Amino acid sequence: MDQGLNFIGKSFKRKDGPDKVTGRAAYTQDIRLPNMLVGRVLRSPHPHARIVRIDTAKAKALAGVKAVITAADTKGIKHGFVETPRYPADQSVLAQGKVRHVGEAIAAVAAIDEITAQRALEAIEIEYEILPAVFEPEAAMQPGAPEIHPSHPKVAMKENWANIGGKTETGWGDVEKGFAESDYVREDRFDCQLRTHGYLEPHVTLAHWEAEKLNVWTSSMGAFVKRAKLAKTLDLPFAAVRIHKSYVGGTFGGKIDLYPHEYAAARLAMITGRPVKIVITREEIFQAFRHAQPLIIEVKTGVKKDGTILAQEMKVINNSGAYRGSGVVVIFLAWGFTMTAYRIPNLKFQGYSVYTNLTERAPQRGHGNPKVRFAIESQMDMIAEALGLDPIQIRLKNARDAWEQLPNGDNTHQAGLKDCIKIAAERSGLLAKYGQSRKNPPADTIRRGVGIGISSYMGGTLIYPNGSGVIVKMNDDGSATVLTGAIDIGQGSETVIAQIVAEELGIGMEDVRLISSDTDTTPQDIGAWISGMTYVTGNAARVAAGNAREKLLALGADRLGLEVSELGFGNKSVFAKANPDLKITYRELIAASIATKRGDTVIGEGFWRTMRDEPAHPSLATAKGRWTENYAYSAQVAEVEVDLETGKARLVKALTVHDCGFPINPALVKGQVDGQVSMALGHAFMEEILIKDGYVLNPTWLDYRMPTVHELALSEDVDVITEKYQVGKAYRTKEVGEGLVSGILAAIGNAIYDATGVRLHSTPFSADKILAGLRKIERQKRQAAE
Amino acid sequence: MYERPVSGLEAKTKSRSRVIVLSVNGETHEVMVRPRHRLIDVIRDQLNLTGTKDGCQSGTCGACTVLLNGRPVLACLTLAVDCDGKEVRTIEGLAENGQLNKVQEAFLDQGAIQCGFCTPGMVMSATALLDDNPKPSRHQIDKALEGNLCRCTGYNAIVDAVLQASGQGGVKPVMK
Repeated sequence: MDQGLNFIGKSFKRKDGPDKVTGRAAYTQDIRLPNMLVGRVLRSPHPHARIVRIDTAKAKALAGVKAVITAADTKGIKHGFVETPRYPADQSVLAQGKVRHVGEAIAAVAAIDEITAQRALEAIEIEYEILPAVFEPEAAMQPGAPEIHPSHPKVAMKENWANIGGKTETGWGDVEKGFAESDYVREDRFDCQLRTHGYLEPHVTLAHWEAEKLNVWTSSMGAFVKRAKLAKTLDLPFAAVRIHKSYVGGTFGGKIDLYPHEYAAARLAMITGRPVKIVITREEIFQAFRHAQPLIIEVKTGVKKDGTILAQEMKVINNSGAYRGSGVVVIFLAWGFTMTAYRIPNLKFQGYSVYTNLTERAPQRGHGNPKVRFAIESQMDMIAEALGLDPIQIRLKNARDAWEQLPNGDNTHQAGLKDCIKIAAERSGLLAKYGQSRKNPPADTIRRGVGIGISSYMGGTLIYPNGSGVIVKMNDDGSATVLTGAIDIGQGSETVIAQIVAEELGIGMEDVRLISSDTDTTPQDIGAWISGMTYVTGNAARVAAGNAREKLLALGADRLGLEVSELGFGNKSVFAKANPDLKITYRELIAASIATKRGDTVIGEGFWRTMRDEPAHPSLATAKGRWTENYAYSAQVAEVEVDLETGKARLVKALTVHDCGFPINPALVKGQVDGQVSMALGHAFMEEILIKDGYVLNPTWLDYRMPTVHELALSEDVDVITEKYQVGKAYRTKEVGEGLVSGILAAIGNAIYDATGVRLHSTPFSADKILAGLRKIERQKRQAAE
Repeated sequence: MYERPVSGLEAKTKSRSRVIVLSVNGETHEVMVRPRHRLIDVIRDQLNLTGTKDGCQSGTCGACTVLLNGRPVLACLTLAVDCDGKEVRTIEGLAENGQLNKVQEAFLDQGAIQCGFCTPGMVMSATALLDDNPKPSRHQIDKALEGNLCRCTGYNAIVDAVLQASGQGGVKPVMK
């Protein structure tokens, strides 16, 4: 890190820490308003059914019930996670005519208390005509499968598959030629379980119509997206919808886009004229809310004898649930995560997003990357073994370099991938350990294994609202009030923004106060769901603080009779570089500005958008167009322990070597690393939403197990610094909050193989799968002996 | 006070409403509760102590952990009527004269807080542990925190915070 930086690169405590550790922090569930009503949502008991009749008369007649709404009470305006000409909005805020998954919202009520609201739900009469349903994507694709939606017209023109919500098709070179020239070709198929986000705070929304405005508090990851979607579906001007700040208790992808209860709370508040609060139960979240996206990945790879990849063909099938959701995004992303890590001279990629009668999907931390890396990194190890290469050699052979031009027009810039791999190998001693368990198995039944996985991730790509603005208001005493739309979901955005403002202005952390995530009082912000807040909003904050600093310096030059170039700043003062004793404080400068100049107070403004010259995000269907200008890279090593008797495996130690550019707050970065390692081990060993006939069988944390303190894995991280921070200059930080769930998952799979010889092609790496693999190896040994 | 007409289950339970006396964070409160009311309902809804969080309504996440007569309990699984005459401590009652307790300080020092939703319950469980056992072993720490889910931190910084608060393991603050 640069010398002379006082705030960047240092682990300052969280700005919101004291509120959170004392219980003062108000989350949406803690906010209540006078005269508040309780709202509840009625949900479909069937996975697929036509709604023949809805009668709400009895519910409306109940004492204490203030409003009941169904689709008939909406404007019928649809919304979607993606809204483009190819993929227009496809979801109704309340079911219209048909329900397509268990838990789909049909009606909502507002009543004076919970019991009355519950009674009202029970009094709503609905007649259904049950339709055949389908839950597995490969079954749903078959011609003649129950139709959830017609296949996308562009796909239907060429292919006969049913229920296709969208397709990504792209590639380059000539894969057939590449395979023909390869010394070794292998094909594998991987799949994974359905998992959920597991945010501790349930979804909660409070809405109130007041002062000709809809005021909304909701647990979210992007206030401006919520405003846009509510304004659209309610047919209100943006100025009539205000999303207020409240603390957010975890999101991990599961609180972006619009949810029916958010619309319902708003609509019910508008009808009743009273505040309406809807608190979602944990069981509702498991049963009816969006989860992650299980992908089936078929990958065929051809390599030369030395391990160089010549061609790769990938087919990805996504179980996207009942609506398009982010299903058509994840099949695009699967391509992106494939092409950014290794050089692939010839690629053919096809991704299908398939409707099924399950809940539509949300992004989940990593948005498909864990599954892509699990497939590719597992296969890399298999190829290496077949060719007699080690796992490090083959990765270094194919890893993207710095300053590589990518096929989509992006550039890898200072990509630190090769350094990540080398440092990971060195620090973990991987090569000395790798293969030992299989070569010289210890006498007992516990086997240790080690494995590596790499990954890449994009940061802050273009999606509504594309950019962030920040305003820095200087106060009379030289302190600063920062207006930012950034939402702190736990990642620490407020702390990081404060560090940047303090650095750029030469004031203390305690001098910076933030007003954040309020659509009326703060400028537009990209939100905490596109992995770009530190880069995009951070640079906007840097520009805004720099703008205020320039104004202070100009005032200082005036007062001190010097040129701006002769001035320095720090300690809430402007001083002469040649004679630091010749100085004037910000307090004095601001007083002088107000008293003697134009009466100006000092306000700085800043804006930032990634890829300024790109009009929009890339095509989800063809992958054409720039994607990002900062790719993060990492290499992760897992050390696991497997009990051969029980088949139970556990992650003992994780090493994460990552290139996030540079850390603004190293302790916050470490927190992200540890959290992602933990989430990945939940993916690897524990978590699975079990579904039968469209119903979730384990809708509680007793039966859907997430890591507890007992599953804590040692987590070490090394930061490969590839970029730097200089006051007054644009900086490039890279993503560090979600990509790191990926390489470590693959590394765990590879480590289990290293420990036992069992190669798993699906997650979770459960004890029964490992035992089955061990038995198969035993059988093969016996057969070979016979 | 006007009472709206009630029927069914509510009517049956209404007649059994009773006043209980609770000491909460050193203050004595008299509250009217029904048999179905849980301690979390009294704490959050009647006393407005919203620092105690409700994450699952079913005793599976630990976010609502409070101390009842010094022992950690899940406020969402504890009936309010059973707390009559007892002493309750919540996250709002840990700091004394504005001074955070050692566990709270250590959570800040170690970066053991991210979204913060599990924090109150986690801090209560850790405080109960250290009140009882000032130098817990790593195994004892794990046992004390096993009922508190955290999805953000991976628990690494949280365990370090408990070690720091108990003056063990040579754990120094990582944040300034």
